[in-house]
Amino acid sequence: MSPIIEVRGLSVVFDGFRALDGVDLTVERGELRFLIGPNGAGKTTLIDVVTGLTRPASGEVLLAGRSLTGLREHQIVRLGVGRTFQTSVVFEELTVLENLDLAAAFRRPLLSLARRRRGVSETVAEALETTGLAGLADRPAGVLSHGQRQWLEIGMLLAQRPEVLLLDEPVAGMSRAERERTGELLTSVARDRTVIVVEHDMEFLRRYASQVTVLHEGRVLAEGSVEEVRGDPRVQEVYIGRRKDDAVSAGS
Amino acid sequence: MNAVTNLARLRGPGIFAVVAALALVVAPLALEPFRLGLLAKYLCFAIVALGIGLAWGQGGMLTLGQGVFFGLGGYAMGMHLKLVEASSLPSSGSSSGGGPALPDFMVWSGVEELPALWAPFADPVFALAMVVAGPVLIATVLGLLVFRQRVRGAYFAILTQALAAAFVILLVGQQGLTGGTNGLTNFFELFGRDLADDSTQRGLYIVVALVLGVLYLGARQLVNSRFGRLLVAVRDGEDRVRFLGYDPAVVKTIVFAISAGMAGLAGALFVPVVGIISPALLGVVPSLELVVAVAVGGRFALAGAVLGAVVMGYAKTSFSEQFADGWLYLQGALFILVMTLAPKGLVGLAASAREALAARRRPAVPASRTVKEIA
Ligand SMILES: Nc1ncnc2c1ncn2[C@@H]1O[C@H](COP(=O)(O)OP(=O)(O)OP(=O)(O)O)[C@@H](O)[C@H]1O
Ligand SMILES: [Mg+2]
Repeated sequence: MSPIIEVRGLSVVFDGFRALDGVDLTVERGELRFLIGPNGAGKTTLIDVVTGLTRPASGEVLLAGRSLTGLREHQIVRLGVGRTFQTSVVFEELTVLENLDLAAAFRRPLLSLARRRRGVSETVAEALETTGLAGLADRPAGVLSHGQRQWLEIGMLLAQRPEVLLLDEPVAGMSRAERERTGELLTSVARDRTVIVVEHDMEFLRRYASQVTVLHEGRVLAEGSVEEVRGDPRVQEVYIGRRKDDAVSAGS
Repeated sequence: MNAVTNLARLRGPGIFAVVAALALVVAPLALEPFRLGLLAKYLCFAIVALGIGLAWGQGGMLTLGQGVFFGLGGYAMGMHLKLVEASSLPSSGSSSGGGPALPDFMVWSGVEELPALWAPFADPVFALAMVVAGPVLIATVLGLLVFRQRVRGAYFAILTQALAAAFVILLVGQQGLTGGTNGLTNFFELFGRDLADDSTQRGLYIVVALVLGVLYLGARQLVNSRFGRLLVAVRDGEDRVRFLGYDPAVVKTIVFAISAGMAGLAGALFVPVVGIISPALLGVVPSLELVVAVAVGGRFALAGAVLGAVVMGYAKTSFSEQFADGWLYLQGALFILVMTLAPKGLVGLAASAREALAARRRPAVPASRTVKEIA
């Protein structure tokens, strides 16, 4: 069976600047893969290409062997690839429930949406439960805290039952307790799906990561288990040269 | 408490019932024919405004070219009335070659044969179908082209405005086909009824009011549906909606087409009510005026759009009677005032007033305030 995500020789150029430069990446079905790298390494750009937001200069992305080249964003979503954004975007005027319901309804024929929503579908109820937002179901999403918004976004993804989830820094700016909760959420989500997470937070990485890919200046610098990557001198150099708190093996 | 919430839930339908009774029963009895005719005209504008409320208020598409669709509907209706008339009046139907009779203005501008574009409009079913189908078709094609290219915001607004300007130039330029600057006028009958007759005009008024009422209910249904939620989501985060697996271009096109259809229908009703359709009624300025009216009434509520159109229509008539030019400035000032101070318009003001009143009457809810107010 072919891997669920296969990135081949991917390059992205912004006004002459190579944000991605010949990236190869293979993610197997059911993996929880972490994507790390210093600021500007190209992590978000990689997600953007996979989800159709950015067009690559060369190379391609295969989903279960099928090329995603030329597909538009919503078409890729319909093939089972969902994502969140670095700065979470929820629909503030809609209630938490309506946000989830809209996410869950995306496969319905457009005409059937012309009816009023009656009750709460099983999928939505489940997403409310998983994300712990059931108590806030009827509040407008605009009142949510930063952490709650991230959960709502993850919940919206779950309600769509995607095969592959791409999460861009889901715990950035979260409190310690919120991080923990998100980590649990991720591990439970990853049980029957493929999840690719971009994350800076080393503590978070140590606790939850299995496979890690390190990007640096648009290239794959290293790949392996957390231990292997932490021991890699090139990775240490890249991180120590930049931000102390990001240093992979600072303590060990 | 339960009774209170139930009452609150009944408020919307209650207001609707009262307004409907006023519009359908009281107004036709109480207003003299001239005033009733004016009200019918405002209600035609309100139908356009309803479409603007959907497209702009709910969908975030600031359309400054609704006059185009209003005009398409109006001209379709006008052409039909003209053809019926020409064939029934022996004096104006010159028909030198024995072909179908020509409308009066064509004879005056030296047209000898009925243009091919006109011929099918002699059929009332075709004409009525075109009233809605024409605008819907054009809006659909335009919407798919434009929204797919992710043209939005001010760019979309300017584009629609340019469309309105171009449409006027087209109409004025084709004198023999469209009646030029004068447009189409001198209508005498509608489906066999004398248009000058008071009872015909009263009947027309009722039809306009009914059409508005039905469209309003339909639009409300749409706004409250899942599709309505999706529309708001597209308005507030089009790019995010894509990643939910929906194509915003399709959602926007559907709503833009609905608003165009409403404008077309309004234009068709306007023609027998007012007795004329001409480029001056559907260019950049009239299109803009209706957007201003929607903003004044409150663009985020469908009722606000309708209210705005009627209030501003009435205000325009009253002011223009006294100071013709003053109206333009007053309107501009009002628009700026509303957009800066009360972005939710009259309806928003009414809602805040009601909340303030309720808060005073029911001091039990916000505990901290209770103390101060009682003290
Ligand atoms: N639309 C764009 N136009 C021009 N340059 C861009 C664009 N998007 C990203 N870049 C550049 O491409 C490089 C990679 O950016 P990217 O956002 O993928 O980095 P990242 O790894 O996600 O970083 P961070 O950790 O800060 O989120 C950066 O140097 C960035 O400035
Ligand atoms: Mg990033």
